[in-house]
Amino acid sequence: MSSRRSRSRQSGVSTEITDAQITDLVSKLQQLIPELRARRSDKVSASKVLQETCNYIKSLHREVDDLSDRLSQLLATTDSNSAQAAIIRSLLM
Amino acid sequence: MASFEPNVDSSNSETSRESNQKKRRKIGDHATDNNSANAVPWRSEAEQRIYSRRLVEALRRTPSSQAKPRAAGQVRETADRVLAATARGRTRWSRAILGRWRKLRTQHKKAKKASSTGLKRTRISCGERRNRLAAVQKKARVLSRLVPGCRKVSFPNLLEEATDYISALEMQVRAMTALAELLSGGAPAGLDGGALC
Repeated sequence: MSSRRSRSRQSGVSTEITDAQITDLVSKLQQLIPELRARRSDKVSASKVLQETCNYIKSLHREVDDLSDRLSQLLATTDSNSAQAAIIRSLLM
Repeated sequence: MASFEPNVDSSNSETSRESNQKKRRKIGDHATDNNSANAVPWRSEAEQRIYSRRLVEALRRTPSSQAKPRAAGQVRETADRVLAATARGRTRWSRAILGRWRKLRTQHKKAKKASSTGLKRTRISCGERRNRLAAVQKKARVLSRLVPGCRKVSFPNLLEEATDYISALEMQVRAMTALAELLSGGAPAGLDGGALC
């Protein structure tokens, strides 16, 4: 039994995965990535989109980590100051 | 917080050899039908506000004391967890994050990274030139490791999940930045105005 034909269709419902579908998804992804947004989608290869996606996600992760760091420090000081906490709460509601 | 019960429902294109891990979330629902429609509007301010609020609540609830303040790792976990919860369980990555956290809480930290990649065959149906395919596959594999819970999903699913995940991460960054600004005595107006980035 070769390849993907049998493999990719386990269940009853799945549709065949077409090239167009993939292209569509890739271009949607491309729109999200700041680096690639400006370029026309037919000029950017799928491989490049994936690459930039990975890089972008990694950089977002790093940002979140940095922010977590910062927040953890800030929260340590805020805890002791309940007035500030109340302000935050009211602002966020 | 809502409880997302992972239904055991593997109706997606996973390979059957992972039936052991079926217990964990194999909700292979949606994706093929409606690509974009599942999107939580990550860009909306309302969503961000909801997230911020929940994040603050969750952070307040995390155990901490003067002696042992919250670690950055804890904050990160909390932030991710709240993010996943805000996703309302419609995406695989969010369910993966929630599952991971719940598992850590209840029992043994079974490392989720069970096995090798499932993207051995990107199921692109036609038009494969071997070179292109190999490069794409490799990158897809890397991507699948970055997006939680997506190691074994099909290629189109992976792309969808990644799309949603990126939007969610961006929102997370915006919200946390705003929160940090707020806490450091910055301009509270930023939250209402929305010009946070």
